[in-house]
Amino acid sequence: MARPRLLPAVVRSLLGRPSTVQYPYVKTEVEAAYRGRHYADLKKCTGCSLCAIECPADAIAMTQIPAHLEAPKSNPRRVYPKIDYGRCVFCYRCVTVCPFDAYVTTNFYGMAGPRENTSEQLSLGTLERVV
Amino acid sequence: MVDKVVELPVTIEIPVGPQHPALHEPVLLKAYVDGETVVKVEVNTGYNHRGIEKLCEQNTFYKDIFIIGRVCGICNTVHTDVYVRALEQILGLEPNRRAKYLRVVAMELERIHSHMLINAVMAEVVGFDTLFMSIMLDREKVMKAKEILTGARVMADYMMVGGVRRDLSDADAGRIAKLVEQVRERLTYYKRVFEEDTTITKRLMGVGVLKRVDAVRHTLLGPVARGSGVRIDARVSDRYDAYDELQPEVVVRGEGDSWARMMVRWDEALVSAEIVLSALSKLPRDGSPVPDERKLPRKFPPGEAYTRVEAPRGELTYYVMSDGKANPYRVKIRTPSFTNIVNSAFLYEGYTIADLPVILASLDPCISCMERAVITDLRTGERRTVPFTQLSRGDKAWRGRGFYLL
Repeated sequence: MARPRLLPAVVRSLLGRPSTVQYPYVKTEVEAAYRGRHYADLKKCTGCSLCAIECPADAIAMTQIPAHLEAPKSNPRRVYPKIDYGRCVFCYRCVTVCPFDAYVTTNFYGMAGPRENTSEQLSLGTLERVV
Repeated sequence: MVDKVVELPVTIEIPVGPQHPALHEPVLLKAYVDGETVVKVEVNTGYNHRGIEKLCEQNTFYKDIFIIGRVCGICNTVHTDVYVRALEQILGLEPNRRAKYLRVVAMELERIHSHMLINAVMAEVVGFDTLFMSIMLDREKVMKAKEILTGARVMADYMMVGGVRRDLSDADAGRIAKLVEQVRERLTYYKRVFEEDTTITKRLMGVGVLKRVDAVRHTLLGPVARGSGVRIDARVSDRYDAYDELQPEVVVRGEGDSWARMMVRWDEALVSAEIVLSALSKLPRDGSPVPDERKLPRKFPPGEAYTRVEAPRGELTYYVMSDGKANPYRVKIRTPSFTNIVNSAFLYEGYTIADLPVILASLDPCISCMERAVITDLRTGERRTVPFTQLSRGDKAWRGRGFYLL
């Protein structure tokens, strides 16, 4: 009979630890190069809008930098790409088309949640306040 | 006084689906049964229309690469590969050997996990849930290998005009090879389980027998046709990408039943593992496979291209037409699932209701591949796509008689 062949595997599974990862209590290990949350470094960004034009998911909106933050001179229009992570498909097209390599990439993936999730805080955090 | 009794044969119509017919995808098999025996099946599709072909016409060539990847999650690299090769034909570009090899690695990894998935689903359909869990656990290794190669488990977004979007380091190539070797061992084991286990063989053998002549007559493709003895494989006949050097062995079986189709998939997964290992061992080093996406041509010359690829489910073809503008004039997708599911209603006849999900799962349907919708107004001739949210709301404006779904 062929059926008992599976028995060792079944017994091993019964006695061993479960394979299921208890996310979000236990983090899943991902690669360092995993395509996770990314945002624009506004010190490099010139506000050229190329990423917003090229985004296949239409997830990037060019937004005004608030007046209390110091925008670089290379960004005369004072706009920056605000990524809506709820819309984003993480294809990294914006990262590869950026002429100034302004995007910071991470392998962070835990972005599910009920609140609006955008790159606003992360991007604006790269700028300094006007003194 | 009654001296005669008239017995009328009763045929009952049983809807199988559209919610979870065998797989977790919406398709309706309207089965007419006489007792337990299925006498006729109508395949109703259209529950998953998204208007992807029209969407491609409304977006630029480069944006379409990422939209095309979302036609089907399971086989996204083959979809993008065939589309990207069509664009390369229009532009007259040729990626280097390393890029071609890396494309093959991505596509073969995808074939392994796709075949493992449908075999796991088949185990679940026949009521063997332990095997389902076991195969899915080992499938995670392939997903990890794909994550190392492309940067994501499922949505690879790996192909780009002129090459691939990220290079593979030697250390990572070694890690992928190690994972694939582990998976190959498990594939051999599962193949033996499918050969020997009584639950599997009793439910699959002799069910949904497809003759060779029927497979050809109804243009069935991929493992379905190969399970019936048809030697058809676009990788061998077209030799696209690096398949001119990494020639796969075409797995053909003669039985033609559901079991043969699943066995073809196990053998193919093993062949794919061999291809991945041999591709990784002799990755060419003729420069970077990653094109600078900022310097790729923005303008496409007028022209057209017709390309095909061997997807895990069979031959997938794309027709792309450019009229010299920013967006493609037409993108026509012909997926293997479409011919395999719509043309195979005859396969179910004569079998019992319990065999119906088994036969459907043995065809490896990918419903999202099949469905692309355009709304046409018959009075004005105006064509437009309708968002899925609007379709589900049941908006009165489009529910009138003036529209039909293509």
